Amino acid sequence: MGDKFQTSYKADMALFQTLWVKVWLGIFAASLIVCPYFLSQYQLGILNEISIAVIGALGLNLLIGYTGQISLGHGAFVAIGAYTTALTSAYWGLPFVVTLPLSGVMAALLGMIVGVPALRLKGLYLALGTLAFGFIVEYVLFHWDLIQGDMGMAVKRISIGGYEIRTERDHFYCLTAFAVLATLCSKNIIRSKIGRSFIAIRDRDIAAEAMGIPLAKYKVMAFGVSSFYAGIAGGLLAHYQKWIVPGSFDLSLSVTYIAMIVLGGLGTILGSVLGAVLITSIPHGIVYTTDLVKDTYPVLGSLIVDLKVGIFGLIVVLALLFEPQGLAGIYRRVKLYWKTWPFRY
Amino acid sequence: MEKAMEIIINGLSTGAIYALLALGFVLIFKSTGILNFAQGELCMVGAFFCYTFATLLGLPYVAAFLIAIILGGLLGAVIDFLFFRRLVGEPIFSTIMVTVGLASVITSGAGLIWGHDVYSITAPFTDKTFVLGGVVLGRGALYTIGISILLFIVFVLFFNRSLLGVSMRGTSEDPHTAGLMGINVKKIHMLAWAIGSAVAVVAGIFLADQSFVRLPMSHTGIKAMSAAILGGMDSIKGAIVGGAIIGLVEGFAANYLSGMVVGGFHFGDVKDVTAFSIMILVLMIKPHGIFGKEKVERV
Repeated sequence: MGDKFQTSYKADMALFQTLWVKVWLGIFAASLIVCPYFLSQYQLGILNEISIAVIGALGLNLLIGYTGQISLGHGAFVAIGAYTTALTSAYWGLPFVVTLPLSGVMAALLGMIVGVPALRLKGLYLALGTLAFGFIVEYVLFHWDLIQGDMGMAVKRISIGGYEIRTERDHFYCLTAFAVLATLCSKNIIRSKIGRSFIAIRDRDIAAEAMGIPLAKYKVMAFGVSSFYAGIAGGLLAHYQKWIVPGSFDLSLSVTYIAMIVLGGLGTILGSVLGAVLITSIPHGIVYTTDLVKDTYPVLGSLIVDLKVGIFGLIVVLALLFEPQGLAGIYRRVKLYWKTWPFRY
Repeated sequence: MEKAMEIIINGLSTGAIYALLALGFVLIFKSTGILNFAQGELCMVGAFFCYTFATLLGLPYVAAFLIAIILGGLLGAVIDFLFFRRLVGEPIFSTIMVTVGLASVITSGAGLIWGHDVYSITAPFTDKTFVLGGVVLGRGALYTIGISILLFIVFVLFFNRSLLGVSMRGTSEDPHTAGLMGINVKKIHMLAWAIGSAVAVVAGIFLADQSFVRLPMSHTGIKAMSAAILGGMDSIKGAIVGGAIIGLVEGFAANYLSGMVVGGFHFGDVKDVTAFSIMILVLMIKPHGIFGKEKVERV
């Protein structure tokens, strides 16, 4: 927040710094509350997917964007969350209020176990280690009788205090509430001592250690928190889809989450949200456009899968080459430009 | 005994493919400092090149093989020119993620051009066998092992004896100083990408002989990464030894572990996961591999 002057610590630490931010957030919240009454089921479905993606992307951005620890295995933690939810609700019949935190905790525990060897590994070695972990989790999911391998598992609907969530609209309110909660939590983590330690470790871990930040503690914590988010996202995804198969938690899911934070902007909360919104909508946009031109070019319909994969890859490559700060960076630049308009400086 | 012999030879021929792919990783990593996650995709594209010229256009196998290698080298050079020339000195996350993104782009491009079907190339040595110590083996395996040993010797000589090889080593050690000494660093990087991709194409064509030409071939690239890690990311010797070890362990694991059931857990398709388990073990015990040099970080 270098461009603002504060006169007290309280103002500097405030979650929402200016009146305008509060006003815009108020308008945004109000539009979220009323929008289910104007949107179709399909559009609400997209929004629900986005809410789940936002939670996962926030978690990954805490790890990669803020702490600088590369992880190519985020999809595995989402899978652990999803399967914990499925197992605990199917076999033990635990209620939603218990299973969801349990999925988060389970993923966080495994995340911290991965985080411990990660203390020795840096950069590309860490990327490879998490990648290998992702493949091993995928293998276990396929070959474990308890979770029926590639048959997949059925998951019950969310029910809170006897009220079962059935419609897309109910899902929308529930999932959006979780996404908002996750965003607030991230913002709180970042402005606290923990967040500042994360950023110090990202910028130079040796210097951070010299300043008295216990590296081991905070690196493991970053893995734990990030996996907790992934686990919650997985648990919600399992409930929302009502059916989970191991194949959907492969490397491409991890790459999708990375695409979100790279496109949105590494190390920004706004970026995680923007990236999740865009990356989740792009496949729907592709389907929509191919539907429009299907009659003139019938070939396109069969190419959607290839196009989707390629476009994600291209987005990551182009964003890193030409706009490493992502959409959040563009937003910041545009804001700065209009602030002094029509003068350059 | 005969079974063990068969497993060893087959393991070595799979290992030779891993070794070739790992060699590509090492060549690119050694001179540019970039770990190329798209190596498996380059190998897949190489196999498709060979398929296109040998089967679709009906050229002789050796001609198709050579054209595929040249095209692969060109593709590597173009990739360097378009993407990685701009990324010199960027943080490691950017370089890794650009190669990951590139991998998806290549896969989708190959899917658009050649489709998702399964093809095969008929090589002169396809379905021909030879007998060694009472074990019947495919001749393709022999060629694969032979070529990878040959390439290993060529590259060791290249890096130790030729001016170009020495300047590549110099560039990898310190690009800035190498530039001051009159080495064209950009050209060296481009050359490294070209050679790395050409080696990947060779691996892809031999892999196509052992299985088929299809899109999921590229997964072998990720497995070969564990060979490179095991041997040490900056060691050519390590790539060959690592590839052989991974291939052998995979062969034995597939034969003796598959089909076991422990507490409701089926050990099927152990081949898919052996390489990754080894990778995790190596990263935990000795992250720099058998022959790799440990880098000391200066503040």
